Order: sequence, then structure tokens, then C-alpha cells
Amino acid sequence: MHELSIAMEILDIVEREASDHGAGRVINIRLRIGDLSGVETESLRFCFEAIRGEKDATRDADLIIMRVPVRIRCAPCAGEFEGEGHLLRCPSCGGLETELLEGDELNILDFEVE
Amino acid sequence: MDPIKLKKKILTRNDHIAAEIRDRFRSSGVSVINMVSSPGSGKTSLLEKTLGPLSTELAVGVIEGDILTENDARRIAMTGVPVHQINTGGACHLEAAMIRDALAHFDLDALDLLFIENVGNLVCPSAFDLGEGARVTIISVTEGDDKPLKYPAMFHTSDLMVINKMDLLPFTDFSVDSVIENARSANPSINILQTSCRTGKGLDGWMEFVRSFAAG
Repeated sequence: MHELSIAMEILDIVEREASDHGAGRVINIRLRIGDLSGVETESLRFCFEAIRGEKDATRDADLIIMRVPVRIRCAPCAGEFEGEGHLLRCPSCGGLETELLEGDELNILDFEVE
Repeated sequence: MDPIKLKKKILTRNDHIAAEIRDRFRSSGVSVINMVSSPGSGKTSLLEKTLGPLSTELAVGVIEGDILTENDARRIAMTGVPVHQINTGGACHLEAAMIRDALAHFDLDALDLLFIENVGNLVCPSAFDLGEGARVTIISVTEGDDKPLKYPAMFHTSDLMVINKMDLLPFTDFSVDSVIENARSANPSINILQTSCRTGKGLDGWMEFVRSFAAG
């Protein structure tokens, strides 16, 4: 249940940034979460909704979560592919001489305020 | 009003603290190994087997992470190695700030090697950098050989997978070939060792890994 720690960090970061910008209430927060980040989207949403009321600025904020699939580059195939599931195995040649391009993100993209 | 752009890692604060303690480890000459696994895979047993022989050659310390109890710290203390217990009180993983606080209990300049035994959990600890130089996942043959497929983030972020309890292999349908293939699917460059704390099989390879890591 590290999603609770992650939800707390999101609230801290957004509240601080909103205050630095002199912004009012936060309407939504957009996240990019990679399939290889180990974060369960529904669990994160649940934790976030449970604690967002602790800070005035985020009381009504919604999470907009964009999942990022695993994308790999395969050296022998010289191509870029979406990893099957969470895996770094090349779907074309089955090889493992791959490089992770994206899919391990745990990022806040931006947030909207009133 | 336009959205306020952040493009920031959510775990920035943890990552900053991890970078800060990694610098402290480097300047004090301490090598740090973060040991992760599901509960009951044999992390503490492996440490017990390691610390005796190693403590005659190197100054070793251990940070024990657990939700409750000091049982593991007591076992480690029996080896004569300095140990500090962190009880997370419910949290399923260690964070860099907990390690920073625990360092007050060690003389870092006098240490060569520090083991961190993480909370038994194959999911959550994967996201938290503890300033370690190497992350080791221990998996036992009484677990499924598909663990790396189910928990890819942990295997993806580990430098080494230790397959433990090899003495029990004949009594299970665990496939060593499958677990290796599955681990490489999550992390093509992961190193792999096979051990049994009970019979001692493979422990020389593990000790070699630890010694060469500590030597930098």
C-alpha cells in the first residue's frame, strides 16, 4: 500500500506549488504512471480521495491518471515496440537486448486551478 | 487559468534524501546493499550466514526494517554485528528518510559495508531509492517461479536475484529455468545466484558478490 505514501507526496507537492503560484483551489491533477512503476491506479485513487480533504487547496481535486505502457527499443530488430505486458522482451524476435524507453514513470504532469 | 506545469517525479523528496545519503555513504567509504523479497524468503537467514565470515574481514552494519517486532534485529545482534531496527508501524516499505534517521546509530566512517533488510514485500519497496549501491531480490523455491512476471518493478530495479532454499527444490514444482527466464524478461541484465542457507550451497558465490561489491 505504498500508494498512500505516493498520494501524500502528490498532495504536498501540489499544495506547495499552488501556494507558490498564489493559486486558489485545485480542480485536477494530471499524473503519468508507467506500467512498470509498481503503482496500482485504483489503489492510488482510493488513497488520494481519502486524504485530499486534509489540505484546503486540494479538497475538491480529482486525479487524472494517464497510464504509460512499456515501450522498448530492440537492438537486433532496430525497432521500437510496446512491451507485452510489463515485459522487456522484444515481441518481434523474442530477444532481451532491449532498452526501456518509457513505462517506469511516476510523474506529476500538471494541475489545474480555479 | 492554464494548467500549472510541474513535470516532476512524485517521489522527488525521497529521491533527494536518497541522493544526500548516497553522498554520505560515498564520502565515508560505505557500500550499501538493499535486500528485498516477499516475507519468508530467507533474507535474515542469508544475512546470518553472511555476517559471521564477513565480520572478520570487514566492518559491517545492518539496518533491519519490519512493520513490527525486533525479532530479526535480535537474530542479527547474535552475530555480533551492529544492528539498528526500524519499525515502520504499518508502512509496507522503507523510505530514504527512515534510513537517514537510522544512520545516527552508526559510525559511518568506521563502516565498510551496510546491509539494509527491507520490509518483506515485493511491490512497494521497489519505488523507494534508499541510497543503496546494489539492490538484491531474494526469491525462494517455495514461491512461484512466475514471481518476476507478477512483480516486474522489483526485478527491474534489482542488480541481483538470489534464488534461495535450493535444498527444497526436489519437493516443489518450481522451475529454476523459468524463474531465470522470467527475471530476465523484467531485467535483461540482472545477475543470478542459487543458494541454500541450510546446506550452504551457493553461499561462496554470494560471498564473492558481496566482497567484490564492498571492494567497489
